[in-house]
Order: sequence, then C-alpha cells, then structure tokens
Amino acid sequence: MKTRYDVIVIGGGVNELVAATYLAKAGRAVLVVEPGETVGGVLVTREVFPGFAVDVCAHDLGWLDAQMVRDLDLASHGLDILGVESSLLIPGQDGRSLSLRADAAEAVRSIAEFSPADAAKWPAFLERVASLAGFLQTLYRVPPPLPTSRDRRDLRALLALGRRFRGLGKVGMLEFLRTLPMSVADMLDDWFEGDLLKGALGAGGVAHLDQGPRSAGTAFLLLHREAGRPPGALRTRTIVRGGVGQVARALANALTGRGGEVRLGAAIAGILVESGAATGVVLAGGEEISASTIVSGADPRRTFLEHLDPDHLDPEFIRAVQNIKFNGVAAKVNLALDALPSFAPAPGQPDGRLLRGTVSVSPSLEYLERAYDDAKYGRPSRRPTLEVTIPSLLDAGLAPEGKHVMSVWMQYAPYTLHQNTWNASARDALGQLVVDTLADYAPNLPGSILDRQVLTPADLEAEFGLSEGHLYQGHLTLDQILFMRPVPGWSGYRTPIDGLYLSGACTHPAGLAGGPGRLAAMRVLADRKRATRRPAGLRR
Amino acid sequence: MPGRTNSYDAIVIGGGHNGLVTAAYLARAGRRVLVLERREVLGGAAVSEEVFPGFTFSVFSYVVSLLRPEIIRELDLPAHGLQILPLESTLTPLPNGDYLAAWADPDLNRRELYRHSPKDAEAYDEFGRLMHHMAMAVKPILNMVPPDPTSLSPKELLSLAKLGKHFRDLGSERFSALFKLMTMSSADYLDEWFECEPLKATKSASGIIGTFLGPRSPGTAYVLLHHYMGEIDGAFRAWGFAKGGAGGISEAIASAARGFGAEIKTQADVEQVIVKRGRAAGVALADGTEVSAKLVVSSLDPHLTFLRLLEPGHLPEDLVEGVKRYRFRGSSGKVNLALSELPNFTCLPGRGPHLRGAISISPSVDYLERAYDDAKYGHYSRRPYMDIIIPSMIDPGMAPLGQHVMSIFVQYAPYDLNDGWNDQAREAFGETVIDTLADYAPNLKSSILHRQVLTPKDIEDMVGLTQGNIFQGELALQQLFFLRPLPQWAKYRTPVRGYYQCGSGTHPGGGVMGASGRLAALEILKDGSRWPK
Repeated sequence: MKTRYDVIVIGGGVNELVAATYLAKAGRAVLVVEPGETVGGVLVTREVFPGFAVDVCAHDLGWLDAQMVRDLDLASHGLDILGVESSLLIPGQDGRSLSLRADAAEAVRSIAEFSPADAAKWPAFLERVASLAGFLQTLYRVPPPLPTSRDRRDLRALLALGRRFRGLGKVGMLEFLRTLPMSVADMLDDWFEGDLLKGALGAGGVAHLDQGPRSAGTAFLLLHREAGRPPGALRTRTIVRGGVGQVARALANALTGRGGEVRLGAAIAGILVESGAATGVVLAGGEEISASTIVSGADPRRTFLEHLDPDHLDPEFIRAVQNIKFNGVAAKVNLALDALPSFAPAPGQPDGRLLRGTVSVSPSLEYLERAYDDAKYGRPSRRPTLEVTIPSLLDAGLAPEGKHVMSVWMQYAPYTLHQNTWNASARDALGQLVVDTLADYAPNLPGSILDRQVLTPADLEAEFGLSEGHLYQGHLTLDQILFMRPVPGWSGYRTPIDGLYLSGACTHPAGLAGGPGRLAAMRVLADRKRATRRPAGLRR
Repeated sequence: MPGRTNSYDAIVIGGGHNGLVTAAYLARAGRRVLVLERREVLGGAAVSEEVFPGFTFSVFSYVVSLLRPEIIRELDLPAHGLQILPLESTLTPLPNGDYLAAWADPDLNRRELYRHSPKDAEAYDEFGRLMHHMAMAVKPILNMVPPDPTSLSPKELLSLAKLGKHFRDLGSERFSALFKLMTMSSADYLDEWFECEPLKATKSASGIIGTFLGPRSPGTAYVLLHHYMGEIDGAFRAWGFAKGGAGGISEAIASAARGFGAEIKTQADVEQVIVKRGRAAGVALADGTEVSAKLVVSSLDPHLTFLRLLEPGHLPEDLVEGVKRYRFRGSSGKVNLALSELPNFTCLPGRGPHLRGAISISPSVDYLERAYDDAKYGHYSRRPYMDIIIPSMIDPGMAPLGQHVMSIFVQYAPYDLNDGWNDQAREAFGETVIDTLADYAPNLKSSILHRQVLTPKDIEDMVGLTQGNIFQGELALQQLFFLRPLPQWAKYRTPVRGYYQCGSGTHPGGGVMGASGRLAALEILKDGSRWPK
C-alpha cells in the first residue's frame, strides 16, 4: 500500500468522490479514505431488511449536473438515470388529495378541485419560480461571488454574474431581491389560498431547516431546491436504477478507472500540519499517509475542531466555526411493506401514478408552523410533516415481488431535546409517531409494515458523521450561504491551513449532489497551477 | 383659506413628525407650505395628550433616540423647545425574584452583568463596539435616497458604485458581520455572544418591536440594529425621553416649520388628492373645502397614500398589487396608566434609579417566543413582552405632584384577533397586561387611578396607521431600502406627477427618525425646476 499521494480525500461521499475523480482525471494520484464499509455518504442504498434495498439517509439526489455526469463519464460506469418523477401527492384531512404533476393540464385540474383561482395562477407561479431558481442555478455553477474582494479576477466574476442577473429583466431582478429574504408563507399567501397547495410548497421551504414557514428566508429555500430541476413541476425527484447509492458506486468506478484508490474502513485520527501547511493524515490505527493536498469532506466542526490541533488556527476562525448552526431537525424512518398504502384519492387523477413520486404530509402552512413550534421548545412535533417516497414502485429490483420499501423524512425532530435524550425509547416513540401520522392518511399502513428502521438526528450524526445530524452540514439560511458558507472569509474551498480544502455540503452550493465537490476540485487545480508559477512562499 | 387659489407651493397631508419635517424643510427652502392634520393635535403617533385630568401621556410613541441629529441641527430644534432627558437604565425583573439591570455607568453595569455571567460581562464591551461599527456602517444608508439597482442610468450606476465602494471599504470582516445582522434572527445573533437568558431576551426584544416575528425568526437582528442606530448628541444607543412627552418632539418640529413660514392647520381631514391632467393639483377636505397647490405630499402610510387618497385609475395595476401585498400586520398595543403611587418591584423594592429608566418584561427568549406563538394563531400574548417607562419620574410635569404616569408598550397584540377586537377583548387584553406586570410589582393594581388601553385597531382608528403598524409597514428585508415601500417607487415619488410620499413607509422607515421626511423634502426640492409655474 502506498504511503504517499498527491491528494488525500477524507470521506467517500458523493462530493468527495466527485472531487477525487476530477482530480484523478487531471492526473493526480488520489486516495479516498472512508471510515464506513460503503461509499456514498448520505446518498447510500443498502439492504437494510433482507431482500429490501433502502435509500438509508437522503432519498433525493437533487440536481445532478448533467455536465458533471458527462465530464466523469458516469453513464458508462454504471449510472442509469431512469428519469424524473414529478408526481407530488398531498393527502388532505377530509378524504381528498391534491396531486401536482408536470402535466400542466392535470395539475391545474387537481388544483381547481380546491380553488379555481389558484389553478388559474399555477402556470404563472411555476414560471416565476423557474426564472428565480434559474438565476440560483447560475450562481450554483460557479464559486461564491466575493462582494468585498478587490482582486480583479473576483471583480470580473462578480460583473459576469451581474450581467446574468440583468438577464432576469427589471421585474425579475426586483422580484428576486424581494423574494429571497421573505418567508415562504408570505410568498405563498401572495399567490394562493388553498391550504393543501400552500402546505405542499411550504414544506419545500422548511426542509431540514429549524424554522417554520413564517420565518424569513424560507422562500429562498423553496427556490434553492428548485435550482437545476426540470420545469413544469415542483419537488420532483431524479430516479436512478438501484437507488440513490448507485451514484457513488458509479463515481467510485470512474475514480478507480482513472487510477484513483478508495480505502474503506479507514477512519481519520488527524490531519498532519507542518508550518501551516497540510502534509498528510494519520489513520485511527496510527498509520500515516502523506500528501501535499488534503480535501476534507467532513463538516467544518469535524475538520477543524476534531481532526486538527487548534494551535494551528486563529481563535477568531475557531469561533466562526463554533458559530455555524447545525441543529438537525429531521429524522428518517425506513419501512418494508407488504402492501401499498391507501392514501385518499385525488379527484380526477389516475390512481396508478399517484404514489410514484413524493407524498407530502403537509396539509397547511399552519400545520407546518405548529410542527415547528414543538421543535422550538426542544421536543419532536406532535403532528409532524412527512416527505414519503416508495422507490420500489419505479425500480422493482429494490424489494421482493409485490412488496415495497418506503422512505420517510420526518420533521421536526430536534437534535437537542430539552426533557430527554435520543435513547432507544425516544427512537421507538418517534417511529411510532411517524406510523401513526401516516395511518391518519393511509389507514392500511400499520398493518402492512414488515420491518422498520428509525434514524434520529443523533443516529444520523453517529452513522453518517453529520454534526448534530444535519443533512447539509449546516443550515441553509441566508446567513450561511454563498460567501458566508461555511464561514465568512473562507467560502472559496480553501482553509487557513495551506493545502487543506473543504469539499462537503458545508461549502457552496450545499445540498446539490457533487456541486461543491466539483468546485473544490477546480479550486485545487487552479491553486496548483498558480503555485507552480510562483515562488512557494507566496502561496495562499 | 378657502378662495385662495394655487396659493400654496405644497400641501403636506398629515401632521405627524415626518410630515412636519418635510414641511419644515420645504418652508426653509422658501416654499409656501400648508400642513393639514386630521386630528386636533399635531404629531401623529408622536403626541402628548392629557388623557385624564392632570395626567399627560405620550399616548403612542414614548421614547426618542432615532431622531436624526442632522434634523435637530438643521432645524435648530433645541431653540424650538426640544429637550431630551436621558433614559439611563433598563431593569429586567425575573420570575425567580432576581433582576438584571443595565446601568449607564459602565463599571456598575459590568459588575451587575458579572453577577449573572462573567463570560457575558467580558463579551459585553466588544459586542457594544461591534454594534457601534455596524451602526456607523449603516448610517450613510439612512441618509441616502435608495438607488435603483436595476437601472443602467449613469446617475443610478454612480450611486450604486458609491454604495458598493462603501461596503467594500468596510472590509470582508465587517461586511460579513453586517450581512449576518441583516439576515439572522436576533436570538441566534445574540447566542453567538452571550449566555445569560435575561440579557439575550432583553436585547433581542428590540429586534421584535413593531414586527410580527419572534426573536428566533431571521430578519429580527436587523430590527435590533435599527434600534441601535439612535444617537443622542452623537452617542449611539442612547435612549431618551422628550420633555413634555413625545408631543414635545412634534411641537418643536412644528414650531421650526412655522418659523420658516409654514402654515399648519389641525382638524383638517383630507379626503382626496385632486388630480388634474395626471398631476396633483390640491386636496379636497371632508368638509367639502378644496385647497389647491402645486404639489401634494402624503405622510400617511402606503395603503392610505395610494389606495385611499387617490381615486382608482391613477395608478398602474402592478403598483396597486404591490401595495396590497405590502405587509403591515400591527402587532403591538399600548397601555397607559395613571398611578397614585410608584410601582414597588419585588426584585428591587422601593424608590430608586431603576424607576427612571426602562423596565423590560423579557425574562427569557422562550418567553418572548411563546408570546409570539399566541399572536401567530390570532390571540394576544397571554404573557406579553412589555417595555415600560414612568415618564413622570423624569419629567414631573406629566402628572400631579406625588402621582405618576406609566407607559406600557405591549407585544404581541395582533391586529387580526380571532373574533376581532371589541370593548370586551380590549379590556381583557388590558387585564392581561396588568396581571402580568403585577406579578413583578404587586402594589400596581391598587395604585391604578385610570387606565387607557390601545389595541392595534384603536391605533389604526385614532392615528390612521393601517392595521396599527407603528412603522407604517413591517421593517422586513423585503420592505426596506430600494424596496420600501415598493420596488421602483422607493424614491418618494409616485406615478402621479406632483404627488409625493414622505412617511415612515418610505426608506429608512419608522421609529421617530424623521429621516424619511427629510429625504423626501430634499428629493422634492430637486424636482423644483419641474414645478408648474
């Protein structure tokens, strides 16, 4: 086994594998060290119950940049994208469900069952969201702009973005600036009156956030989740054969095909630093591996406060890292089922397709807000909001014939409980709460459960290395995005340690599979190019 | 007045502090100005009234800090009777019988804070310095007409470039600190600095004033900063009390305006702005009188300015839509008490300097947040946040000798109460406020001689503030700067030529700053060459 590489990548998540593969493609000798037994990080599909393969943690890929898929030739390494599923079913409490699909006529018909006025506005709303999210998409393909930089390169980048911004037109520009800091409740109240519709869209504005829909900045999160997604529907899912974990497997194949190496079961004990520059890593067993470039996919708290000797860091920087807000609020429940759940029908919609996409238990904005109220005082929501998928409907290979797997994100389950800890009984109670909540909408569900897995925020932290169980390595609030992510002054993937880079979701653009990893790799390559042209002392 | 045609250069609708400031600046520039006020008293929400015989109250707005120093200087307000008496302390009584006090004397203050948290006592000065820098960073923006970020005209680009330079000159560190203040919740922001609950709660309370948000809602840190921008004699974050009450401020500005030749008429209820050939030509009063002028300035809020005072049809559809989605959501009430004796606080019994400052009922962030929860679902807070002062302790002329007036600002009292506001709901709300305060000062109930309870609905009915919002519209990011009150109409002008806005619904917003009124007047004067002859 080699003990010297050009680049060591800490963690085998999708961002890390993307960074590693881009670097390997550029001719670097790359080693990925992953503490677990599989690659993928939060995007992992595993046989949790015998015969049932489950998207254990994240169940949505988000925006998978097509350019990246081509760059890394993932299709020929086993990535089979089955398509985009646009169906969004919002079961109501009165026995009628709302169904939103990319087929505009069908969506309008379903909305009109509840409010003809809303139905009339739906196409214009989709267009507005697409245009605003479109500018975010532009922002998410480049490193975060630096508004106070005097560097000519940064100013040029800023100017280029300015030109793209102008492309929104006068009304679009003002709407963008006005919408970003709004609450998703205000944004939706400006457009619609129907509770189910507003609840469905509002849930997208608070996903994995410790805020309710009335909190400012949640309109941004709704737009954020739509960046890069196909137009015509909201909260769509990209479906990959074999589950979301297949992306990491394809990436690992692409990486090893380029000569990169992956070591599983290799936990990091520390990052080695000499005179302010990273020189390698030491593994839990004591083994040292050297490299002049380290790319860490761990979140900043782990990277800087656990893997590094604090003497190497400025106290102000440490304080900024300590101030990053994680506070995970979502829990994951995975179920093996022997029958499909019987949600209430959506009037006028073909039943066969309703469950293929996402089922959103979010009957109104007030329901979401009350769910958040509980979390505010440190207890799980008594009436939680749920995001449900049944991946086996689109990929029969995931479950035995006639049986299904169901994946549920539950919110809110705050990482810090005021009266309790996340022990076994709290975990069981949470699982039961999710099942009971679903049973209100699909009464046959409890009787069809064969097996169940519950992951509390504490479990997500332990199992996936996510501080406080936050899926995106830190909240996506306005003060923690763009040039503020992960901490102000260090948004460019570099760190105060020379040669140490960040590539996880803690960097821009968080929550996009591979987006941060790609940009981190670009930064590493650009720095190397510059370093070779300059005396080493000037490197930064 | 009737019969004089076109004799005024400008009519200002509304004699609130902003309307008076605009009038004073226009008159100072030699224009013939008439101010028309619906009520019998001047001042709008900054009035003093003898509500009960012998007891004078700052009925609505009750403290002063944000009034721009350049206005005090340029209008020479001290010569017109403005006298600001300092409000030096804040007392936060706690349910456990203890208290947290903030004193003007830094040593005393430090010792008091140390008692609660040595760590916070250490952080306090550094926090103060940062807020000072942040207030300095925002100060130029308070004095500038918002640029249009979407325009390519050389003038706008220059203005934007200046703004860009201003931010770049802050440096990355201060810029990100400012960005955090603009986007975070006051509770989160303070969590980064302090651990003492009553300290965090009392400070974050200034981030919720006048908003329909809890201290954990992003956007409240900006309101916190807004309340830090006050200067008295150049000292930031100094709060004071105008001699004679809030009306003292309005009277001084009115006196300055009259000194420059402005006419001010009360009990003149403007019903409509007269528009002729697409141009404002005067106003029609409720009594049928018409007064003509070359231009008309409204100091009322955007809802009244655009939808009430103008006949429909003068405005483009998107502006009307914009006004309709502009958020007011009044969330505060006011209780004014005439007292036979001073309140005796269990935590700090007897008379003392603490009664000359503010008293804040804000024991913890959760307390404020729960107060907000009630309002979210259409109730007034069962345990409200209160900011209390006893003006007669500072200005004995406010009450008969030995007796006192107490001003209680209360949040949350939502404008849209379930089942609506009526006499019964108002009295129950008043009871809740008094019960809550009596927990800390048990002698309160027996010492009340009179009480006046004002709900947001009352505030709307009495002073005309739509939905009772004290800032003429929420101070939320999407309603600030070039978006206040509406994108494209943030420069004090309106689509009707010769019709302007100057209220706190325009940049930089409310809080008895007067900045909106001054900036509006300066913009109006710039348009001077285009005034009809």
